Amino acid sequence: MFNEMNVLMLGILGLFAVGLYALLAVRNLIKIVVALQILVKGAIMAFILAGKINGHMQTAQSVALTVIVADTMVAVIGLALAVQVKRRLGTLDVNELTSLRG
Amino acid sequence: MYLINILLAAGVVYCAVRAVIAKRLLASALWLAGTSAIVAMVLYNLGARELAVIELSVGAGLVTILFVFAISIAGEEGMGERTNIPRPVVWIAVLVFLFLLGEQVLPHIIPIPGGWDLESPFTFALVLWERRSLDVMLQIVMIVAGVVSALGLLAPAMAPQAVKKAGQAAGHKNVAQTAAGDTAENSRRTTAAAGEVQG
Amino acid sequence: MTQWLVLSVIFVPWLGALLLALSSDRAPRLQHLVASAFAVVTGLLSLCLLPLVTERTVVSVAAGSVFGNFTFVPDGLSVFLTVIAAVIGCLAVIFSIDYMHGEAQLGRYYSLVLLFIGSMTGMVLTSSMLLLFFFWEMMAFCSYALISFYNDDPKAVAGGMKALIMTQTGGVGLLAGALIAYSFLGTYDIQTFLAYAHRLPEFALSIMAFGFLIGAAAKSAQVPFHTWLPGAMEAPTPISALIHAATMVNAGVYLLARFYPAFAAVPGWTTAVVVVGVLSAFLGAVMAITASDLKRTLAYSTISQLGYMVYAVGVGAVYASQFHLMSHAVFKALLFLGAGAVIHAVGTRDMRQMGGLGQKMPFVRNVFIIGTLALAGLPFVNGFWSKELVLEEGLAHGPLWAYILMVLGAGLTAAYSLRMVYMVFYGTAKKEHHVHDAPAAMRTALAPLALGTLVTWLLAGWLSELLTGSLPYHLSHLHAPGTVELIVDVLTAPATLVAIVVIAAGLLAWWYRDLFASLSKAAALPAAMAGADFGFEWLNRVIVGSTLLAGSVLRLTQTGHLSWNALGIAGGAIAVLGLLVWGS
Repeated sequence: MFNEMNVLMLGILGLFAVGLYALLAVRNLIKIVVALQILVKGAIMAFILAGKINGHMQTAQSVALTVIVADTMVAVIGLALAVQVKRRLGTLDVNELTSLRG
Repeated sequence: MYLINILLAAGVVYCAVRAVIAKRLLASALWLAGTSAIVAMVLYNLGARELAVIELSVGAGLVTILFVFAISIAGEEGMGERTNIPRPVVWIAVLVFLFLLGEQVLPHIIPIPGGWDLESPFTFALVLWERRSLDVMLQIVMIVAGVVSALGLLAPAMAPQAVKKAGQAAGHKNVAQTAAGDTAENSRRTTAAAGEVQG
Repeated sequence: MTQWLVLSVIFVPWLGALLLALSSDRAPRLQHLVASAFAVVTGLLSLCLLPLVTERTVVSVAAGSVFGNFTFVPDGLSVFLTVIAAVIGCLAVIFSIDYMHGEAQLGRYYSLVLLFIGSMTGMVLTSSMLLLFFFWEMMAFCSYALISFYNDDPKAVAGGMKALIMTQTGGVGLLAGALIAYSFLGTYDIQTFLAYAHRLPEFALSIMAFGFLIGAAAKSAQVPFHTWLPGAMEAPTPISALIHAATMVNAGVYLLARFYPAFAAVPGWTTAVVVVGVLSAFLGAVMAITASDLKRTLAYSTISQLGYMVYAVGVGAVYASQFHLMSHAVFKALLFLGAGAVIHAVGTRDMRQMGGLGQKMPFVRNVFIIGTLALAGLPFVNGFWSKELVLEEGLAHGPLWAYILMVLGAGLTAAYSLRMVYMVFYGTAKKEHHVHDAPAAMRTALAPLALGTLVTWLLAGWLSELLTGSLPYHLSHLHAPGTVELIVDVLTAPATLVAIVVIAAGLLAWWYRDLFASLSKAAALPAAMAGADFGFEWLNRVIVGSTLLAGSVLRLTQTGHLSWNALGIAGGAIAVLGLLVWGS
């Protein structure tokens, strides 16, 4: 069952697990951006793996390129927000950033 | 090939775990760069040559620089480990997610002896420009949005605090001077960093 | 051509709303000018629609299989209400030039008014139940925001919140009905629904019918959901005239009239409609006679008059209800705007502090009396003809007890109308007011409405042509006479004589009220009950209270913690994956 593609798929699942765990369990806002990056790395790998299996590698690359661009922009925006939060509120601790509480 | 794939898969997860558990943010960013580099190797191995190069330069290069830059502005900050969510809940969520995803995906990964390619006459550039040109438009829009938000990364604190500073300035001239100094320094930084982003 | 006209009647006011929302409050003259210009253009555009009435779908925007097509049909009923909304809206905006003179935040005021006008025209012109619901809720929002326009006044904010929650509660019934229709017919199109309504199972049709009745009762301030309307009187008076008397509250009557052919066969539905209408008409009149606040009196009388329209729909007289709707929209807008002129001059809404204003404000007095004649149903202004037609149809097709209560209500209406005029314009002045007659813009708005009150009944034949020509599903329920026919009909009907006698009795009863002084102790209990809205207030309090409670409970889910929100997203992903695993 565990062929070489499945091994890579396990790696992708590992990335998803680590990313999701970090998203839920990490307190530092910048580290949450790191968690998002890890999740998206898994997604990029999954796209290419799917392209390899389907035989549509070039299309998979094109889609994954869009994902990379989007992911980079998410990093930029997330970091910009984090920096602004730090400057205005003086902390990056998500436990203390509760001004949206209803 | 089999062994290399095992090593790569293990390495990518190892780097990701280190990135998450690292105490210092800078270390975290560097481990993330490592993850990205290994992902680029996987992509190269799978035959996505162009994307591997892009991933290496953008994921391991540009994003890491952005992280280091943001960390240097925001600074390290000591804080506890735990969020408000109880750890068991986190673990249950992660495991259920993994189980469902794995059950959906793993049985469908069928080995292909020798590999096959349905798009052999098409190069990556051809596919990108001719068949997915809408994606390219979207990417341009996203890049513009990213550049605009990069200004947020560089800008001094926005409106409310500026108003507060102006209010204090009426009372204390010294504060006003400091604030002015701040702004001048920030604008210098902005120009420098803008050059960096373009470069 | 028609399609551009239909779309422009909706989007021109919205464009105006956008411009005014963006405008600077430092240029109030410009804001008055722009708002009036957009309102006048909308009014003219709506008039241009009149010759283009058709039962065909003229605009259809494909919006996918889930939302159905967004269709617009300018048939007789739609265009008739579009004209009322746009023309009275235009007059209310012109009136506001004087009434809102010197107020702050005119941009917000005018943009909401124009947004409302566009939503109302969209609501009546669309033939998609989903869009109907959408416009319906937009109107509710505009109503809420305008009631709470003076948002530093806690009474205004509370009144707005109450109106919003009550009408939203009714809106749920409307949405449920629309979804049921979609689940059985696969379309939201009203024309299709009217054609194939008999194919729905009986229980589904019943749920729809009563859901729509709840929605209509909440929107039209009918018993037992009526208590939001008096609270809505905190709004600026032109808003009370436009939204809470002449247009938005008619939406419920419109809904009932529009779907009458489909629901008429549902057992118990027409009876329920008649009961709602009779209770509202009668209790509204009783409450109006005991109120001392000028605008509240008018609000109760609006509840009462809307009750007459609902009653007319209930007995199957769709035409009579629309005819009374037209008369009422005109004379009630006149009364409210006249009251606005008085309140603007005197600075209070309490009728006990007015009196003797007739000599100082002769113009306002004259137009107000014209409106009062129509409200009381005295010959030969428009309210007379339409009310007599409603009563006549009620005697012919409805139950007798309902008719008796309606006629008694007409007598009470005459009494409180006279009381209102007397307390405001005659008698001795209670306080020394330095008042002046209405300024130019107010007169510009009042004069056409007064003229309309005198003559709109002549349009009866035209209205029946408009309705019979383009409403294929309503034809058997219309009983639409021509103008001459109507005059003969009404004048020779015994119902008219009965009504006139009762109305005269009502007038005399108030005039010789001193004779009944000994009865006033006996009347104290009903008066106290009327002051307490006959106990219906508790129902409203339960609805509003439970909504607010639900809100505060749901607030617990908004922890403001990023981690919990992320857990919610992860839960969503898990749910999607679970559906994939077990669904396939």
